[in-house]
Formats: sequence, structure tokens, C-alpha cells
Amino acid sequence: MSEHSSSTARFAKMMVVAKDEWRYWLRSKLAISVLAIGLILTLSSVVVTAINTMELSHTRHALQEDAEQTFADQPDRHPHRMVHYGHYAFRAPSPLSVLDPGVDAYTGNSIFLEGHRQNSAMFADQKQGTALTQLGSLTPAFILQTLAPLLLILIGYSSVSRERESQTLTYLLSQGTSGFTLIAGKGLALMSVIGLILVPVAISALFSLHEGESITAIVGFVLGYALYLTVWALLVLLCSSALSKNSESFTALALTWILLCVVMPRVASSTAITTVPAAGKLETDFAVAAEMRKLGDGHNANDPAFAQIKASLLEKYNVDSIDQLPVNYRGVIAMTSEAKLTQVLNEFAEKRMQTELAQTDVSRDFGWLSPMVAIRSLSMLTAGTSIETHHKFLREAEELRFDFVQGLNKAHVEQLSYQVDMNRNKDTDSGQKARVNAQNWQVLDDFSFAVDTPSLRLQRGAPAFLQLLAWIAALIIVIRLVGKRLV
Amino acid sequence: MIEIVQATAVIEANSLCVNIKNNSILKSLNFRVEAGEIYALLGGNGAGKSTTLKTLLGFNAPSSGSVKVDGKEVINALNHVREKTAYLPESATLYTHLTARENVKYFLSLADIQKSDDEIDQAFDRVALQRNARDRHMQTYSKGMRQKTAIALALLREAPIFLLDEPTSGLDPVAIDEFNQLVRELASGGATILMVTHDVYGACQVADRIGLLRDGELVGEFSAPQNGQIETEQVHAAFAQRGAA
Amino acid sequence: MSYMFKQLSREWRFMLRQKYLLVLLGCAILISGFSVQSGLNEVAQQQQTIERLKAADVADRTDTQNKQDEIGMLAYYTFHLTYSPPSDLAFAALGERDIYPWKHRIKMLAIEGQIYESDTQNAELTQAGKIDFLFVISALSPLIVILLFHDLFANERSSGRHDLLVTTAKSPWALWGARGAIRFISLFLCLMLPFYVGAWVSGTSLVAVGLVSLCCFMYLAFWAILSVYWGKNANSGPKVASGLIGIWVLFAFITPILGDLAINKFVHSPKGGDIMLTQREAVNDAWDLPKEATMDAFTATYPEWKDHVAMQSMFEWKWYYAFQQVGDQIAAPISQEYRAASQKKYELAGYASLLSPPLLLQRVLTRLAETDAVAAHKYEQQVRAFHKTLRLYYYPFLFAQGEFDKGNLANLPSFDKFINKQHGVSDTDSAQTTNK
Repeated sequence: MSEHSSSTARFAKMMVVAKDEWRYWLRSKLAISVLAIGLILTLSSVVVTAINTMELSHTRHALQEDAEQTFADQPDRHPHRMVHYGHYAFRAPSPLSVLDPGVDAYTGNSIFLEGHRQNSAMFADQKQGTALTQLGSLTPAFILQTLAPLLLILIGYSSVSRERESQTLTYLLSQGTSGFTLIAGKGLALMSVIGLILVPVAISALFSLHEGESITAIVGFVLGYALYLTVWALLVLLCSSALSKNSESFTALALTWILLCVVMPRVASSTAITTVPAAGKLETDFAVAAEMRKLGDGHNANDPAFAQIKASLLEKYNVDSIDQLPVNYRGVIAMTSEAKLTQVLNEFAEKRMQTELAQTDVSRDFGWLSPMVAIRSLSMLTAGTSIETHHKFLREAEELRFDFVQGLNKAHVEQLSYQVDMNRNKDTDSGQKARVNAQNWQVLDDFSFAVDTPSLRLQRGAPAFLQLLAWIAALIIVIRLVGKRLV
Repeated sequence: MIEIVQATAVIEANSLCVNIKNNSILKSLNFRVEAGEIYALLGGNGAGKSTTLKTLLGFNAPSSGSVKVDGKEVINALNHVREKTAYLPESATLYTHLTARENVKYFLSLADIQKSDDEIDQAFDRVALQRNARDRHMQTYSKGMRQKTAIALALLREAPIFLLDEPTSGLDPVAIDEFNQLVRELASGGATILMVTHDVYGACQVADRIGLLRDGELVGEFSAPQNGQIETEQVHAAFAQRGAA
Repeated sequence: MSYMFKQLSREWRFMLRQKYLLVLLGCAILISGFSVQSGLNEVAQQQQTIERLKAADVADRTDTQNKQDEIGMLAYYTFHLTYSPPSDLAFAALGERDIYPWKHRIKMLAIEGQIYESDTQNAELTQAGKIDFLFVISALSPLIVILLFHDLFANERSSGRHDLLVTTAKSPWALWGARGAIRFISLFLCLMLPFYVGAWVSGTSLVAVGLVSLCCFMYLAFWAILSVYWGKNANSGPKVASGLIGIWVLFAFITPILGDLAINKFVHSPKGGDIMLTQREAVNDAWDLPKEATMDAFTATYPEWKDHVAMQSMFEWKWYYAFQQVGDQIAAPISQEYRAASQKKYELAGYASLLSPPLLLQRVLTRLAETDAVAAHKYEQQVRAFHKTLRLYYYPFLFAQGEFDKGNLANLPSFDKFINKQHGVSDTDSAQTTNK
């Protein structure tokens, strides 16, 4: 009972300290303007990004439908022409990309799908950019990850050291307030600021419910930021109580911010690139080309590489020549070589994606050294704008590509006779004959890209959560030690 | 040691007015300090003591009137005035990450004065700074020790004019006696000393003359009789009376 | 002179006793060293990649040429590597080479279908940005300057030493000048030393090193003077630094972001995807169009083949490559518009960067290092020109009938030779532009 009442008394004291801190902020010009600027920045970033993303999402859905319609509307043609005509896959942004666009601006969000090759995603927004936003862009993620900690530092650096400099600290401690209670009270005030910063973000995150985002992902996302900013609040309290002067506390915090928020993320990515070198697409293209020459050219049914297929086909249908086959031999070759080629391409693509994941893992491990790196990964992962989501898009687009190409090849095999096909270039008439009905262009599956399930995304974010929690635990332990020795 | 063969006043304020942020702090202040004299400007909080000192050092420009040190208008001869004066700030915080000796050496080098370790030790001896403390970081110093170091620095400057801001605050009674002795020695050596203080007793003990400052004006002057001290009661009464009025 | 040296040496010894200054300078040299190191690594990787690609390119072409005999098939399957090697200053300013491609494989097909292929690195790492020397100087060094200079006066005032220092010093310059100068020189050296080592390793020209030094000096001096000026009357160091960091945020983030928003609103650019779509539609439609339509459009540009357009079969390579070219011609206006828009954006970004010193520095140094959008566009121009040379090489064989002798492949254009030849021309070109 007495323990209970003492703890409520302690909480009451913490509240008094916190209220006092707020009064100080409201009276000091610096703190109040920093707060105002912070809120304005957060709000405007939320609004600007939301407008952009909504536009993008809308156009990408429309573009996807357009592309499908255009494909289906093509006239009767030789099926292989349609293989080269190709199709587009568009990636609609994930609902939470309103708050963290992640890699979206860098990957490009559409892929041209055609036979015989895997194209990379094209027209990343950055290429048509002004190069002005290299240091940061007006996204809520950037504001929260980089500028919000600065804001906490600016209003909190003097929270304890100020009391020490004006010699009110001894007075407060002699009144029976323990060092830890004092620090906790100041912490409470900082936490309320964090709450204030997170309100617009949380509200806009809730809007994405409407876009089909699950509440779990939203809670995970906002919670991640709450933890991250808590780490900063704790760092601020630690420096402010461990160092004896305002100016020392400020310098230490500013330097910490520079190292953790500005330097570390870049050190992480530079290290990742040098420790896990990745061959560029061009290099793999050469390797693929070499493999492909072994497989034979699917356009040329006479390629000696297909001798074995020819033999087994003749045997299967028990005929002497390819003219007598009930199926179109050219089509069969196209189909088989596409399948083999795709297998090779997928192998290389998979290898490339694994390398990218290995690189990303190296850079994410820096989260143990910098909470900024931890929240960056966590934020992208839960928002579904990380490299994993991009890979998922690449895989699904590839599946779409393979299905429609083979669908067309199937029409080639079954609906076009070999003789007609071979004579296609003889004259206009034979050219007209060597076509299949446009009905066959209905091979496209409806493509609509969706990010991974929230549970999978949160599961991927688990290490980053751990990193943040480890930071918090370590800081609380150190602050407790400092709190005991507070004078 | 130092000779000033000038009949004129070394420090002289004539109808000195100083405004700071549109507040008039000094209102037509007049006083003169002769060579070899110890002059104490006595006043309560907000009387304008520090402003007077800062004006003498050239940190404030007079809005009207004039203030001369060593015969030169301060604001026009800043470098000359600062070279001729040794200033002792009220709470002399020197660099805490340096030792007393390093501090003194650093400041002397700023003034472009060469002193040997022996000479520095002599100065420390004169202010009675313990030998074992001289090479310790000043972080560990008491207020009195810091004050002594600053006084030693002022001595080593070998300037003919001393401007002292509350010089005895933070010193214990023994140290105050020693300090007063030191000031008298300096004056008899020809140095001119102006101190500002709110300590009536301390001022009476050491000053040749006391100027009573109130609201930026000199409201009274007291001179010591030949070979005697100014009467403390008389000054105290004036200080208290005027202060109450 | 010796008096000045005395002041500097005093302040130098004085600085060596201040731990936090040493920590700051230590951080500066470490970060700068890391950035130069990783810049050198990156450039070395790029160079190695180019070497590997060159070897693979030759092997690939030889293979293809052995396998194919027909001119049309040869043209279809022969790829040509084009690349833009990093300059000797690129290690210091990696610039936008992670966004714009610096290597392509191109062949005789429509160039508009090939030139936008991007070979970018891991997007998540690109998004975090790399740490190169330019980033350290333009974005980080202002913060270090602020931390070093903001309390030059404020610290002495708040500790009650200011008046004593000023009245003791022989002149303000002997004190503040020497103190500031020592801090500035130390920081400058800490930041620049790794760069000089890197420049020595990669054999950068002295002129470039001199220009970079000059730019960095002016940039750092700007921030130092601003910091000193901002804090000259202040008592509280943290307040001065807060204001300065606010200015830094304004310059580094807010103005560029606003500039970016404004420019993107102001300049209308066609969507990149539309270029490819137009080109592909044109090429695909060509299969169903009367052959004359394609050939007429082709000979409008290349009238020299007017008498060679008659076709014997429904499919001939000359027609195939003609409609590839026509596809490019149809997409040309929108492609031009796209490039003009990005040029316009680059120009406007130049004006915007006048309001943001960090971006101005980035712009100047990436220009020097040839790692900016201009360099990327120049490379794109080279690729286009090379593609044209390639076409002009094949056209006679495609259009003038007759067997193709594989011995002619010895004269096949190569990008290496093409660039070397072009260099003589572009050197006088750039001399003219710099004269302007």
C-alpha cells in the first residue's frame, strides 16, 4: 500500500517537472519556434506526399487497365508478333508509401514485358529530377527520421543541464526529488512532444486504412517511429544530465546527431556496396547471352541446338519429317527455348536479388550502431516500400511475362500450321494467312500488384524493432546510473 | 618600478553619460584619479559601477561627455588604453582545462609579454598562491585561488593602471589583508588603482579616496587624512542614507 | 611576420588542450578519410566493371560473328558496349552516376528502345545515398564549422573571460583572428588531407585539385564567417548554434525541396514511358503498314537509298532496320522534348542552387568531376551518335544488294575508336564553352 502511494507521489512529482518544462518551452522563444517549425514541416510533408502518392496510385491503376486493353485490342496477327509487341506491368504504390515512399522513386514503377528478355523497371523519377533533393526530400519519413531528432535536441539539450547551471538542480534534489524522478519528468515532457509530432503522421497513416492497409501494419509503423524518437529523447536526457554545461550538452548532442543521422546511413550503404559487390545488369546480360548461345536461337528452328527436340518430337508423333507433325514445329521451338531461356534468366535474376538482399542486410546491421538506420529499414519494411517489395514486383511481373508469352506460343503451336508459318514472308496473302485470331490476345491475367501481408512485413522488421529496443534498454540503464549520481 | 611623471589625472571622467539600450545608466559622471592614487568607486547594485569600468575599458561608448585614461580619449585609443591597464574581472574564471601557470602564460603571450617561470613564481608568491597548486588544472580551484591567479596575472602585466572589479569578493579575511597590502605596495610604486566595490569596509581600509556612486551619478567623495584611513562610519552613513532616500 | 606566427603558434598550442575541439577535428578527418576511401573504391569498381565488360563485349561479339553470316542477323545479334569511364576526380564527387546509366549495350535496333535501359545499383542503398568527399564537404562540414565557430565569443562571454581576454590582448586580431584562423586551418586540413591523398592516388590533375581546394576554401570560409558573425554578440553558444543549424537546414533541405517542387510544377516534361510506347507502337504498326510507307519515311531522312528500297520478299532486313529507324524518327519529337525538359530543369536548378550554398558547391564540383546530369547527357549524346555511325556502317550492306563479305567486319565501328576520334572535336568545343 505504502509502496503504491509512494509511486503515485513520485508520478505526481514527475508530472510537476514535466509541466514546468512545458512552461519553460512556452516562455522561451527558441523552443516554441522550433516546435512550431517542426509541426509545420511534418504537416506539409504529409500533405504534399499524400497528394503525390494519390496521383501516382490513380494513374498507375489507369495505366495498367489501359495497357491490358490496348493489348487485347490488337488485330489478328502472327502470334510471335504479339510476343514482341509486349505488355506493361505497373506497380501501384503501397498505401503507406504516403508516409515513406522508400525505394519507389529510385526503382521505377513500370516494366515493359516482352519475349526473350527480362527488362529492368524503367523511368525512375529521379532521372528526370533536378538533383536538388539529394540531401533529403519532403517526405514524412525524412522529416521524422532526420529532422525530428534535431528538434528534440534543440528543445531538450538544456533540460537538466540548465537546472545545474542556474543551480536550481541542488535545490530541486534537496527538496526530496530523486535524480531519476527529475530526469523521468523531463522525459515525460519530451515524450509529449514526440506524441505531438506523431499525431499528424498517425492520422495520415489511419487514412491508408481506407486504401486497404491493415491496422497491424499501421500500428507497427507508428510504433516504430515512437520507439525511434524515444531513443532520441533518452539520448537528449542522457547528455543533458551527464554533462555539466548547456553548451557541452548541446555540442555532444549535435555531434551525436551528425554521426547517427547524417553520417551512419551513408556509411552503412557505402560499406554494403563495397563488402558485397554486385555485378550490374549489363554484366549478367553478357553471362546470359553466353548461356543463351548454348541453348540456341528460338527464332531459328534450324539451329543445331534443337536437334534433340526435333528427334524426340518426331519420335513422339511417329513421323519422318517436321512437315508431318500435327503441331507447329516453329512454335514448339519458340515455346521450349522461351522456357529454357526463362529458367536461365530467372537463375541470374534470383542471384542478383539475393546479392541485393545480402547488401541490404549488411547495411541494415548498422542499425545496432545507429537508430536512424534501424528506423529507416523498419519504416520501409512495414510500409512495403523496401527492396523486398520491389523484388516481389519483379518476380510477379516476370510470372506475368512468362505466362502471356507462353500463352501466345501455345497459340503459335496449336493454331498455326507449320507450312503456313514457313510461307509467311512469301507474299501479302500468305502473310495474311499466317495469323491467328485476336481472341487469343486474351491471355493476359489481370495484373494488380499488392505488397506483402502485414504479418510478413512486420516479421521482416523484427530485427529493426529489436535494434531500437536494445538502444532504449541500454540508454535507460545508463540514465539510471547517471540519475543516481546526479549532483 | 613604474614611473608616471604626469601632473594630470590618469583617469578622468567629465560629464560622462552612457546609454545602454536606450536606458541612461551613467548620468553626467565626474571623477578624477591621480597617479599613484587608490580610488574606490562605491555603490550598491545597479549604481553603474560595472558600466563605468566597462566604459573605461572601451566596451561602451559615451553618449556624451568624455572619459580619458592616461590622457587619451578611451574610445579613440583602445589599444593604448588596454595596454596601459591591467583589468581584474569580478569573478575571474580563467581556462579550467589549463593550470594556473599555463593560464598566466597564455594571457601574457596575448599581451605580448615575456616572463620566465621564475618571474611567474614570484608573482604567485606575492599573491600567496600555494606552490603545489600552481601546476594543477584550475578546475579544482576554489574561488579565492582563482582570484589570486587573476591578481598574479594583473601584476605580471606590469601596467601602470589597475582596474579592479570587486577584487576581494571570494577571498577569506587573511587573503583580503594580504591583497590590501599588495594594492598599497603597487600604489606606492606609482601605479594608479581604480576599484569598484559595494564593500564599504573594504573600500575604507585601502582607498585614498572614495567616490559614492548612485543611479549613475557621483553623490559624494571622501578623502583619507594624511597617513590615515577614511572613517568607515561616515561613509557607511552616507551610503545607507542616500540608499534609503 | 614572426609576430603573426607567434600568435598562431600560441593558439595552436591552446587548441591542442581543448579536447572537444580535437574530437571534432578527429571526426572530420575520419569521416573525410572514409568518404575518400569509399569514393576510391567505388571508382575502382566502376573501372574494373568497364574492363570486365570490355573483355566480355569482345568475346560476345567474336562469338556472334562466328555464328552468324547473314548481315541482317549479324546486325541483330551484335551488341556494342558503350560506357563513360569515371574521371580522375570522380572519386571525390561520385555525383549522379548511381542514377544515370554510364554503360549501355546497344545494337542496330531503334535507339529509343535501348537508351533508357537503366543498370542501377541496389535501390535501397541508392536511396540512403553514398558518402563521398563532396557530401562530407557540402553537407557535413558546415555542421562541423558551426560547432567549431559558434561559441568563439559566446563561450568566453558565458564564462566571464571575454572582457579580460579583450583587454589583455594586444589587438582583437591577435586573439580572435589567430584563434579563428587556427581552427579554420586545422579543419580545412583535416577535411582536405584525405582528398589530397585520394587525388594523388588517382592522378588527378593539379588544376582540378587547385580548383576543388579553392571551392572548398571559399565554401568553408563562408560558413565560418557566417558562424562568427552570427555569434559575435551572443552570450549563449547553444542559441547561436541553433540558429546556425536552422540556417543549415534551410540551405540544405528546405530551399532545395521548395526549388524542386517549383521546378517540377513549372517545367512540363513528357513521361519517359511515353517515348518508348510511341517508339514501340511505331515499330509494331510498321509490320502491318504498306512497305512503301516505311520506306518513304526512311528515305526522307536518307535519300541516298531511294533507289534501293524495292523488296523481293515479304521480309527483308533493310525494311526491318528501316522501320526501326522510322520508329526513332516518330519518337524523336517527344524524345527531344523529354531531353529539353531535363535540360531546362538542370538550368533552373542552377538558379535554385544560388539560394543554397551546399547545392551550389555540389553543382560546381560534380561539373568539375563530370559526374553530373550534363555529363550523363553528353554520354547519352555520344551513344546516340555512335548508334548513328553504326547504322551508317550497315546501311550500304543492307541496301546495296549483294553478298556480305565478313572481312568487312574489320571496319565495324567501335565505341572506343569513336570516342577517341570525337575527342579531338569536343576538346575545341569545350574550350569554346569555357571561353564564354
